Amino acid sequence: MNAAQPVTATASPESEREQATRLKRTLLHDIRRSVYVFRIDSGGCNACDIEIFAALTPVFDVERFGIKVVPSPRHADVILCTGAMTRAMRLPALRAFDAAPDPKIVIAYGACGCTGGIFHDLYCVWGGIDKIIPVDVYIPGCPPTPAATIYGFALGLGLLDQKLKATHHVEAEGEQVTVTHPRIPYGLRIALEREARRMAGYRQGREIVENFFILMEQDDGAPIRERIADFLARENDPRLAEIVHRLEEICARGNGGTDQ
Amino acid sequence: MFKLLKEVFRTGNVTVRYPFAPLPASPNFRGKPQYDPERCIACAACTIACPANALSMETDTAAGKRTWQLCFGRCVFCGRCEEVCPTGAIALSPEYELAVMDRADLYQTAEFRLASCRVCDTPFVPKKEVDYVIALLVHAGLPEAEAERRRAVVETCPACKRKNDVPRVGSLGPLHQMGMIP
Repeated sequence: MNAAQPVTATASPESEREQATRLKRTLLHDIRRSVYVFRIDSGGCNACDIEIFAALTPVFDVERFGIKVVPSPRHADVILCTGAMTRAMRLPALRAFDAAPDPKIVIAYGACGCTGGIFHDLYCVWGGIDKIIPVDVYIPGCPPTPAATIYGFALGLGLLDQKLKATHHVEAEGEQVTVTHPRIPYGLRIALEREARRMAGYRQGREIVENFFILMEQDDGAPIRERIADFLARENDPRLAEIVHRLEEICARGNGGTDQ
Repeated sequence: MFKLLKEVFRTGNVTVRYPFAPLPASPNFRGKPQYDPERCIACAACTIACPANALSMETDTAAGKRTWQLCFGRCVFCGRCEEVCPTGAIALSPEYELAVMDRADLYQTAEFRLASCRVCDTPFVPKKEVDYVIALLVHAGLPEAEAERRRAVVETCPACKRKNDVPRVGSLGPLHQMGMIP
């Protein structure tokens, strides 16, 4: 971007020169050396930066692929942008982008970098790196794990294929949703789900209660109490046992009461 | 030097072989939301729960359809959608390889048909949602015939319900005498 140009209030991404686009196509073929990465933190919360650092540690060790983080954009082949692109970081990011020699690959890192993430409608953010500079690879995640980072780099450098594809489903004729766990009375099911979530939180609670429903619905002759005891002995977790016993109590009350 | 080498051999290789060998995610890892459109009733609970607005729904009454959309680029993998989904149509999977070259590939969409209001004939509710409500009523112990009778109530839009209520409320007599209004 030309320095004399006024800073406009609209989000118009800087367009790439055609030559740069052409060069980029051959970058991967012609590079034949390590890939140098310059990291721009355009208003991130640092979670992404911590994961990038984790990818550099011996466990994931991206340097074995020749991916190296450099301190100056003038050395960079890849520009890695984290954060939702705040108003204040727009010009510094543009300057860093312009300082990097062509051809360069821009990677939008994390949910914020891809689309603005949870901050997408804040007054002080542009909502994504691609509003300001052209992006080649998007790595979603909040934050992306080091493995996802490596995958994104491999994708950008043309080593792996893209797995995620856009999908569109159109409702088919006569598509219907059946009730889950039809053999368990409705009121009892709700009571169990509520109690499990109250005790174990929404995610683990759901998992526990689903396992409990499967146990209830099993039909292998053994009484339910034995099946549950078997299950708890297998899992060997006192926290799980407490929750499951609580669910059992509710079942006992529910069966004796109004519910079937 | 010998000490160092001894340490090196004792520690062994800690680096994962990731891109060359699959790396399984740890248990309870929250990855890509796996969506099953056939189990979805387009009730929009997930779009209300989603803190990042990665999930959104648009109702097009003119065309009689509702479009559900999930943007993986905006998802923060919190699992609230999984929590609120009444049919288990969406659940987080351990899948984490989500990087894309094209922004359009970050979107997953599904289209649902709307049922029309029985009175004013305007589409207003997903057909699958009505069917699910009736199935739920039957499951909760209502006789099938009675549940089907209630379908007429479910398939009436709120505006028409209010209009229908006016003559009924009027026939009850003056409201202040009944103590409903002061």
